[in-house]
Amino acid sequence: MTEYDPVKTNVSEVITETSNIKTFVLRPERPLDFEAGQFIQLTVPGVGEGPFTPSSSPYEKEKLEVTIMEVGRVTSALHNLKQGSMVGLRGPFGKEYPLDRFRGREILIVGGGVGMAPLRSLFLSLAHTIEDYKKLVFCCGSRTPKDIVYKDAVLDKWQTQFKDKVSFRITVDEGDGTWKGQVGLVTTTLDNLDKEISNFKESIAVVCGPPIMMKFTTLKLLDIGYGHQNIYLSMEKNMSCGLGRCGHCQMGKYLVCRDGPVFTYEEVKNIPNMWD
Amino acid sequence: MEVLFTSTANFHHLLGNLVKKNLLYAPRKKGDFLFYERIETASPKDLILHTNRPVQPLKSFFFPPYQKVGQYFESASPEDTETPKRVILGVKSCDLESLKTLDSVYAGTQFSSSPDPQYTRARDSSLLISSDCLEPDEYCFCTLLGSNPHPEEGFDLNLSPVDGGFVIEVGSEKGKTIVSQDQNLFISADENVLAQREKTRADSLAKVKELNQEVEVKSPYRDMIRETYASAVWKDHSENCVDCGGCNETCPTCRCFLLQDGREKERFERIRLWDACLLTGFARVAGGANPRPKLSDRFSNRLFCKFYFFPENVNLDACTGCGRCISVCIGKIDMRKVFKDLEKERSKGPAEKIK
Repeated sequence: MTEYDPVKTNVSEVITETSNIKTFVLRPERPLDFEAGQFIQLTVPGVGEGPFTPSSSPYEKEKLEVTIMEVGRVTSALHNLKQGSMVGLRGPFGKEYPLDRFRGREILIVGGGVGMAPLRSLFLSLAHTIEDYKKLVFCCGSRTPKDIVYKDAVLDKWQTQFKDKVSFRITVDEGDGTWKGQVGLVTTTLDNLDKEISNFKESIAVVCGPPIMMKFTTLKLLDIGYGHQNIYLSMEKNMSCGLGRCGHCQMGKYLVCRDGPVFTYEEVKNIPNMWD
Repeated sequence: MEVLFTSTANFHHLLGNLVKKNLLYAPRKKGDFLFYERIETASPKDLILHTNRPVQPLKSFFFPPYQKVGQYFESASPEDTETPKRVILGVKSCDLESLKTLDSVYAGTQFSSSPDPQYTRARDSSLLISSDCLEPDEYCFCTLLGSNPHPEEGFDLNLSPVDGGFVIEVGSEKGKTIVSQDQNLFISADENVLAQREKTRADSLAKVKELNQEVEVKSPYRDMIRETYASAVWKDHSENCVDCGGCNETCPTCRCFLLQDGREKERFERIRLWDACLLTGFARVAGGANPRPKLSDRFSNRLFCKFYFFPENVNLDACTGCGRCISVCIGKIDMRKVFKDLEKERSKGPAEKIK
């Protein structure tokens, strides 16, 4: 077996999240130990592989979940998989969220659409030792109520389970007849944030979503006083080998597969076209 | 290390011995071009040792254009293909320099947590017998990158032509072993032949410098490229680019690859193919977002990789001045002129924005 060969993995469950997003529960023959924020390469045999960040808790050792939007060749093949299908896994690759830096602070999590995937893993990590953190604010933006990923968790289960320590701000761009919650872009969840977070300068913000969402969220966070080194962004690049060799994920002086996929705004702010 | 002399006849004797146990490759003429070709017997008239570099980049030997790197979901272990022992003759200084970049990616640990086994095996099983470049052409610019047309390091043995034979310099333990196995073929190099070598080398160096007089710039490329991202020079020069990726393919330091999966009967395999960052889809992600949709961005990115990414990461310029990218270019783009124009622009004042 070479470092390019994936580990045989069973798809033990397929959960439909939205019309174009599914979560796959994966059980690899050999466990892959990952930390929240790291990514894996998922192979559809004979078709190819793509980089995804696990959305499950790193504390669950025997299985791993990935939440995938159908957007291209490999993701379409993935969406056709059924329970019992065989896929391949390589990894984990890259750097995780530096939880050591997060401890004792107020943490703001901002997710948009399928960008919720790594944030779910991060949230479950933080929740595992919730007493280590001063406060958590979880903001989530989706296009419509139908597009909310992990609906049961963010609208119900987590809200009840962590009501003392975590506040949730859920918004949709466009409501429908049944939606009673907030309507507005995800950046509107950052209005009046001082009600939840007492010290913006020391607070950590973790943002993941489409590039345009990360851009405007970051601009607003800078505006309300977040430090450049305290804003964590997920850089979606074309990671392929995961080994620092193939060159596809080069970004400025970085290789996203080696130095990311999580970067602080401070690290990436001067890279040309960083939001593209 | 040791500097020896070997007569032409003795050198061919040495090759005769080497070809028995190794595959021998040397530059050969095909039409107007030189290519590394397999040579079965080392007969004197076949050898072209002191022109400039062949068309293929040296990387082809260690990082081939198409290579199987894995096969998966199979209980049987993959067939153990033995790496052939190779002697590559007539390697030029610019190509030896390129191995520093390739080694940093494929044999080092700065980029990857472990060396690439196929690359390192191919490197280990090759003997590099380099030779002085005495016929630089209009595309050569090694001197602009701070190196010389004669090899100084990275070879196992190096040849410099002198009256009656070669000055042969030993550059590695591997080279030392080769020499010690045929000790009777060598004598130590005397002052006379060494003086001759210096003279020939100086002439060649002067030629490269003369060829580059008009394109020479005052600062190193890696210093010049900083802060030039928004310069109109990139757009101007990329206007003739046809997006073919030829500069990538022929470049001895371009090291990017694509992984492609295939199915062969009941087993799946993974192939590594050379990829080119000049091509539109190189950095595109699923869903279509592309950090470098414009040709001028991809064009500048290639040189930023060479003179910003590599210097920042491993303190190396990923360019050796071999000139292949210039000679291959359909649009007649010359990176030396790009830097010349960046210099001119800088002397005029702040960069003009593209957008």
